[in-house]
Amino acid sequence: MSDFWIIVKKELKDLLRDKGLIFGIIVVPLLIYPALGQMMQIGFQQAQEETKIVLVNFDEGDYGSLLIKTLEAAPNVTVTTIEALNLDEALKKAQEEDYNMIVVISKDFSKAIESNQKAQVEIYGIVKGISGGMRESVSEGRVNAVLTVINDYLAKLKIQQSIEGNPDAILRPIDAKSYTVIKGRIVPVPPSLVANIITSQSISMPLVIFVMIIIVAQMSAGSMAMEKENKTLETLLTLPVKRITIVAGKMIGTATIGIIAAVAYMIGMRNYLGSMMSSSGEIGISLEDLGLIATPQGAILFVIIMFLAITFALSFAMLLAVFAEDTKSANTIVSAGIMPMVFPTFILMFADIETLPLAIKYILLALPFSHPILASRAMLMGQYSSMYVSVLYLGILSTVTLLITARFFTTEKLLTAKLRFRRKR
Amino acid sequence: MSAVKVEALEKDYGKVKALKGISFEIKEGEIFGLIGPNGAGKSTTLKILATLLTPTGGRAEVFGHDVVKDGDEVRKLISYLPEEAGAYKNLKGIEYLQFMAKLYAKTGKSYEEMLEVGVKLSGLESRLNDKVSTYSKGMTRKLLLARALMVEPKLAILDEPASGLDIINAYSIRQTIKQFAKEKGITFLVSSHNMLEVEFLCDRVALINEGVIVETGTPKELKEKYEAENLEEVFMSIVGGQQKVGVFG
Repeated sequence: MSDFWIIVKKELKDLLRDKGLIFGIIVVPLLIYPALGQMMQIGFQQAQEETKIVLVNFDEGDYGSLLIKTLEAAPNVTVTTIEALNLDEALKKAQEEDYNMIVVISKDFSKAIESNQKAQVEIYGIVKGISGGMRESVSEGRVNAVLTVINDYLAKLKIQQSIEGNPDAILRPIDAKSYTVIKGRIVPVPPSLVANIITSQSISMPLVIFVMIIIVAQMSAGSMAMEKENKTLETLLTLPVKRITIVAGKMIGTATIGIIAAVAYMIGMRNYLGSMMSSSGEIGISLEDLGLIATPQGAILFVIIMFLAITFALSFAMLLAVFAEDTKSANTIVSAGIMPMVFPTFILMFADIETLPLAIKYILLALPFSHPILASRAMLMGQYSSMYVSVLYLGILSTVTLLITARFFTTEKLLTAKLRFRRKR
Repeated sequence: MSAVKVEALEKDYGKVKALKGISFEIKEGEIFGLIGPNGAGKSTTLKILATLLTPTGGRAEVFGHDVVKDGDEVRKLISYLPEEAGAYKNLKGIEYLQFMAKLYAKTGKSYEEMLEVGVKLSGLESRLNDKVSTYSKGMTRKLLLARALMVEPKLAILDEPASGLDIINAYSIRQTIKQFAKEKGITFLVSSHNMLEVEFLCDRVALINEGVIVETGTPKELKEKYEAENLEEVFMSIVGGQQKVGVFG
């Protein structure tokens, strides 16, 4: 086994046996986020429960009965008609029997419709306890949906009785059909819907990259600082192993754990977000349906860009860790050094880089962590030339950083930086 | 060839001059002691020879290799034990020795031989299968010493080797060092502020004070020269007049 793999193996063993670390970075995200998601789900499920409506009908005509029948036929709705003299009495009865909606059909409901006047229906949602009104909001939606159907039906019926022609065309004379043009192809999906799909992608990608970069950087700086804290660094540096091998071995070892941690975090997060998404309903259209598919060339370029960005984060974090005394100060220094490089890239969640002012555009392009985000979109849009530029830029940047870090390891800075740090305090 | 050759070695930490141009030589197979009070420059000298620090002036060689220019070569010949050292807490004692033996195996003895020596030297027996985090300070020190010696380097640089050990273990370590020097021809550079320990252990010593080597010789020569009963008295008669003595001195 080469020196490099001996060091990687030791690094993995040392980190994987750290129960606190493994619990914090792998177990917690895998348990906590899905648990949070489950809690949200319970809230949503409760809200989706049967809508129990108390119906008070003061109308004596046919249209009141029509409304009741339609409500009874609506899914997830139970209607109980009660006799009440006034609203207060109805309210009292509804509360006693744990109903959450009251629908009151006014006295002249049918008469108003027959004489082409507006008819009144009153809907009361009874908010109770800690449900936060979510259940009432869902119930109101259900009643409104029924009313919309009846409204539409009645309007068409009235038009048919008085005017010749297609009632639907008279009711809505202009029909707009929206299409989107993607990569020169016409897709029969409205741009607003496409924007929704792309936005959900463009928000999740920077978040995923942010999490991965921060975890990996903290891990590598932490492992370096741990050598100082546990006083193993001096021995390590006097072993018959090239310094660049030590740096590379530590980087690969910590990156492996860092990536496992980031994946655990993302799985946990996905579970959490997934349970929220499924509750709020999905759009039902994927990127593939829109023709936004990554080709093998695009996917390979994207993987290279991700790899280079992580290499940069790792070597930069190790470089910063040179100035740290222990794991605590390493975390502080790495956060201070990496965060300013990651946060500005969040602009890319909401804006297209081409539409930004020139100065901001170049600042973002100079930041290494913008490139994986830009690449994730370029990959889908088939814009490979910009991806090649990213590969070249990140390649140069990470090589230079790696060499500087390795150079620091060959000097005494690794040991003396701590001394100066102390003296300054 | 000299095992170690140090000429006019200087080291500054900012404005603090830790070494002020020290020179000494160590012959192959010799146990050489660098003794002096805390802050005298012992650890700095050892760290320069272990390629951890770069001298500000002068030069140092290990078996003819310059410690600054030929760091990689020097590291193949030495084994360094820092004064304050730890081992990887999440590894078992045996895994720590295995890790080290694998890295040194290409420089001389085989992996199995090194490990066998390491296990025996540590004296930790079944505790070697426990994590280092469960070890006492003394046990960790024994593990580290076993690591430093099992690789049978050409030069072992030991900074306060018996630090944290009780009388029995300290005695045992001194015996091992003597045995390794005699039987395996290993050269030792040992630093200590315990002058009695060094007197018992070393073939030759250099007394260092405030970054300057004030005397070099065998313990016997020095005692005779200064008509002293032990090295402590030698040291005090050399530097006693120059130093302000505190309440305990």
